[in-house]
Amino acid sequence: MTRKKVKLAFITNDSARKATFKKRKKGLMKKVSELSTLCGIDTCAIIYSPYESQPEVWPDTRGVHRVLAQFKRMPEMEQSKKMVNQESFIRQRIAKASEQLKKQHKENREKEITQVMYQCLTGKGLQNLMMADLNDLGWLIDQNLKEIYKRIDELKKTAPPPPPPRPPPEAPQVTTGNLHLLQEQKPAVGLTMDAMQRPQWFTDWMNNPSDHQQMNSFGHGDEMMLSFTDNNHNTMWSNAFFP
Amino acid sequence: MTRKSRGRQKIEMTRMSKESNLLVTFSKRRSGLFKKASELCTLCSAEIAIIVFSPGKKVFSFGHPCVESIVNRYLMKNSTPSSSTLQLMEAHRNASVRELNMQLTNMLSQLEAEKQCGEELSKIRKASQGTCWWEAPINEIGLQELEQLKAAMEELKKNVANEDGEAHWGGVKLFAGCSWGVEF
Repeated sequence: MTRKKVKLAFITNDSARKATFKKRKKGLMKKVSELSTLCGIDTCAIIYSPYESQPEVWPDTRGVHRVLAQFKRMPEMEQSKKMVNQESFIRQRIAKASEQLKKQHKENREKEITQVMYQCLTGKGLQNLMMADLNDLGWLIDQNLKEIYKRIDELKKTAPPPPPPRPPPEAPQVTTGNLHLLQEQKPAVGLTMDAMQRPQWFTDWMNNPSDHQQMNSFGHGDEMMLSFTDNNHNTMWSNAFFP
Repeated sequence: MTRKSRGRQKIEMTRMSKESNLLVTFSKRRSGLFKKASELCTLCSAEIAIIVFSPGKKVFSFGHPCVESIVNRYLMKNSTPSSSTLQLMEAHRNASVRELNMQLTNMLSQLEAEKQCGEELSKIRKASQGTCWWEAPINEIGLQELEQLKAAMEELKKNVANEDGEAHWGGVKLFAGCSWGVEF
């Protein structure tokens, strides 16, 4: 069994083509046989090749005639309903692959925006994002918030009333609305967020709305753009975020 | 090792016992069979017809150049030399098949690339879940941390809204025209 990907085109090398034909014809016959056995159905195959004047068939002459007769007994419409030739079959394959591509692309997009969201939660700025990204990001945040609210409700209902809480150090800051910066290094206890760990530039930026004017610099000079909108993002956008 | 599917496992060559499995197997294998036949035609210029009756008595058939011509050729048993018109038609057909195969190949490699991309993204996410508790699935996060995450998210939401509002594209409604969101 070859591990190399075979190009889906006529094999120009004569000996290679003949060898391939021999192998694949054998394999095809095997598959026909297996299908018939495993599913208990009637089937036949007729193969003409440039190498022999007589066709090769499965199961045998008698079997082929039987299936062909059965086939011809069916109304024309039934015969043609699921009939395909190369052109129509390949078109079907293209359509299916296209669907899968769309789906995969969507999934990847969601994963990408999720990464962006987490990056933003830990302090990366929003200024390099394009309009489409912001839209998608906003949508994703909403989805997540919905889930979070729901989960919080669940937990509150099922959990016993909590013991008098030790005052979390960040509590006052949460209520005044400062961005609760999540840190990448997980603190030992997991709950204390030291305000001093917040980069000063970020706090300044947050507290100075007037500075936001600078952020309208989509497409400026050498700023790195997240270009999710084109299809060639095999190069991971993460290059923009992982210095 | 438990597997989701039976692929790459040895399977006994007798009629399948479970009806539901049989139907699925039929569907998949029939499709795969036609694919193999199509490839044989493309790679080696073979001319093939395959006729398959389904468990539900419907009939599927594949034929190149077409089922009818192969069946007739087989039943007639005489090799009629094809007229020049027929040859021309066949040449046309083969040209468009070549074209389609190229399209298909292109689409399949794009698909492969996207899948790779997806795997990379999943790897990254998994890697950071070790150090970042907030990246875990929401169902796995504890209540207190969840409250923190909630606050941070709400803050981020405000920032995004501000960012949107100040963008050059004046008048664009927030979260409208999301490229894929609504389709989830």
